[in-house]
Amino acid sequence: MFSYFIRRLLGLLPVLFGVSLLVFTIPRVIGSDPARIMLGERASPESYQRLRLELGLDVPYFLNFKEARTNGVAGLFDAQYPNFLRHALQGDLGKSIFSRIPVVTSLTHFFPATFELTMVAMFIAVVLGVPLGILAALNRGTVIDTTLMFVALAGVSFPVFWLGIIMIYVFAVGLGWLPPSGRLSPTLIFHGTTGFYVLDAILQGRWDVLWNAIRHLILPGIALGTIPLAIIVRMTRSSMLEVLGQDYIRTARAKGVEARSVINKHALRNALLPVVTVIGLSFGQLLSGAILTETVFAWPGIGRFVYDAISARDYPIIQGGVLFVATMFVIVNMVVDLSYAVIDPRIQYT
Amino acid sequence: MKRLAMFVAVGLLALSALASAQTLVYGESGLPVTLDLPQDGNSLTVLYQVAQPLVGFKPGSSELMPLLATSWEANADATQWTFHLREGVSFTDGTPFNAEAVKFNFDRWNNRDNPYAFASQKDMAAWTYIFGAFHGEDGYLLEKVDVLDANTVRFDLTSPVGFFPALVASSYFGIHSPTAIKAAGVDYGTPGVGAVGTGPFKFQEWVEGDHVTLVRNDNYWGDKAKVERIVFRGIESPATRLAELEAGTLDIAVNLSPDDLKAVEGNADLKRATASANLSIGYVGFHQANKPFDDVRVRQAVALAIDQKTIVDSFWSGLGQPAAEFIPPGLIGRAGYEPYAYDPAKAKELLKEAGYPNGFKTEFWYMPVSRPYFPSPKDIAEAVTGYLAQVGIQAELRTEDWGIYLKDYDEGKFPMYMLGWSADYADPNNFIFTFFSPTEIKNGFGWTGSNADEVVKLLGDARQASSETERVTYYHQADKLIYDNVPAMPMVYPTTLNATRANIDGFLPNPLGTTSVQLNEVTKN
Repeated sequence: MFSYFIRRLLGLLPVLFGVSLLVFTIPRVIGSDPARIMLGERASPESYQRLRLELGLDVPYFLNFKEARTNGVAGLFDAQYPNFLRHALQGDLGKSIFSRIPVVTSLTHFFPATFELTMVAMFIAVVLGVPLGILAALNRGTVIDTTLMFVALAGVSFPVFWLGIIMIYVFAVGLGWLPPSGRLSPTLIFHGTTGFYVLDAILQGRWDVLWNAIRHLILPGIALGTIPLAIIVRMTRSSMLEVLGQDYIRTARAKGVEARSVINKHALRNALLPVVTVIGLSFGQLLSGAILTETVFAWPGIGRFVYDAISARDYPIIQGGVLFVATMFVIVNMVVDLSYAVIDPRIQYT
Repeated sequence: MKRLAMFVAVGLLALSALASAQTLVYGESGLPVTLDLPQDGNSLTVLYQVAQPLVGFKPGSSELMPLLATSWEANADATQWTFHLREGVSFTDGTPFNAEAVKFNFDRWNNRDNPYAFASQKDMAAWTYIFGAFHGEDGYLLEKVDVLDANTVRFDLTSPVGFFPALVASSYFGIHSPTAIKAAGVDYGTPGVGAVGTGPFKFQEWVEGDHVTLVRNDNYWGDKAKVERIVFRGIESPATRLAELEAGTLDIAVNLSPDDLKAVEGNADLKRATASANLSIGYVGFHQANKPFDDVRVRQAVALAIDQKTIVDSFWSGLGQPAAEFIPPGLIGRAGYEPYAYDPAKAKELLKEAGYPNGFKTEFWYMPVSRPYFPSPKDIAEAVTGYLAQVGIQAELRTEDWGIYLKDYDEGKFPMYMLGWSADYADPNNFIFTFFSPTEIKNGFGWTGSNADEVVKLLGDARQASSETERVTYYHQADKLIYDNVPAMPMVYPTTLNATRANIDGFLPNPLGTTSVQLNEVTKN
């Protein structure tokens, strides 16, 4: 198991190298650049060229042959990509071109927000999704099943920005139960240390902040949770149905094992494997940020941060942000793979 | 004892109610990008509370008034402007505000090799929009800034500019503490540092992605702020900004969608806060290097084929007026033309005369981003092509990434396109010269020939005119040429929708928008 883990960890390196190469290349080959955007609606060709120079956008991408002539190998690698890679390996992802804020500093602000929201959304999706999926499977073909499947279909189909705005109007503006958007009430004065407000509030014993933060998490959590919830319900149902048709279930039933025990011990455990995969994938996806949910609920998450940077061609943020998100995604997938062994003893990693 | 506890509890409750009553929560479409030489409205609005320019605006108007300068005068040909500074003012870090500080700020902006001009600002677009170019470069305006005495500065210009105080009043040019800039270096203006000025508020904290908090400057030289704190929130979606305002969690929400005018006006808890007019214009441009737009009859035909009034009424919901000329209402120099009236029959006739009896095929490029001058570019573009189809012009709708769009626009790749402009300063020069300067008339419209040369010459003369009457005469002549030749079709003068809670008073957006509005007079009742 341990050696497998190490091998997987090493396998991360080529993946991340590939990601870094793609994320470096794509924004540069699709045309335009931060210099042109920075200059706004009107710009003279001279100031455009000069700003490119100023921002280092004229430096060669991969190999700098001109520098190589004077500085040898060191000069050859004095190009945009090798420099980015060298700094990234030292934990420095550069600074935003527009705001001059270090990308790492920004990520430590935006990632905790995304992580908290993802946890809530996944909690809702799993806690509701698995039991509802089992319920649908056990009542296959009945009204319960049809209704659940219809609701699940609706869950995947509703556009999040629409659902979000409806929820804001019903629960925040109309009923006044929950705040419309943001992470904390702006009038609350609070300084966290970790950036995870729920955790910070508990650490500092600020129960007012804890309550406030939780209230802010509910609406976006539900909005973000609907799609994984719908997927988990459907996956659990179909997986359960498949398992329930197996010989060993019939045997167990024939032996007179109590129905509840058949479902929980014999069926569910075996049906969970594909469900866990889906949960893992959804979790990874949500961690990389949900642009629409974050936009509707003004949630300062990583998705919108990177998305805005893409529109503005803020290369350092795009590179650093996507690399970070990709790392998260790969790690989550690895954890999912490892969890298979825990759920299904037949799977062994050596 | 019990009674005492209750007394304390009630007291605390009252105090906390008081504290929140003194906090103003202001919702914009985003948090600042930077507080040092920003170029976007969200940053400028925050910065304007902290760092004040020399010249300000009367509440709700674009008329100039003294701010950090108490008076100013020009020499006979308006090439030298002397500003007398307010005495006894300090930056919030204790540094005295004086002529040296003003010189430090302007030198840093004007000179690309100044040690305090940091990388991304060396080509600050706003500076070139307003002051032509950087020192020593083609077309630069500001020669030098001289300290005459502790409280007097003189600006030497390379050519006469009668409206120089309007340039200095632009919200970009708030005066910062030289000490603070020197101490922070390139980190100046970032969340950890903020900005230091002389304004009614001072920077307290900026939680990236979340909020910026300013607190009252108790040593402010003018009317001290009525609220104790302002919290700025960045809420990208206009629908969410409105919901926050309706829920009472925002006190002020700016740049709402024009569609929401009814929702604002129908809600007794809310108040509309729009300016009398906004200095902004949206237009449909033609690039004459692309046939058949080199033919003036074709351009006129397009202007006649589009029912401008219906488009403006439907997409701006009563918050826009159809535009006819490139100087928006509220500025001098307008000739008073009416928009080309909707007349498809006449449009067809002109097309026939030009040799296109069955119309022609072309491309119509719309912006991929929303701006106050075009809040929903795609829908508006679809309406425009619908009208064009009725006279036989098959315009294919195209768009692309904003950065590429701007670049392709520079290169004259669009036969027909949408673009617009919002004012940097309140003077006709900021509009008509922006579109028809020697470079832009070629880049934007591909307009050449004797008429185009004449327009360029007239606008150059207007800049140097010795009196306002003379300047207006030049503008009128240029306007006539532009109106008749239709290098572009002005579409709309939009008004931006802002709203506050009903208990908020003293929030008065001016024609430049909300970026140059000081919030010290705002009260929360």
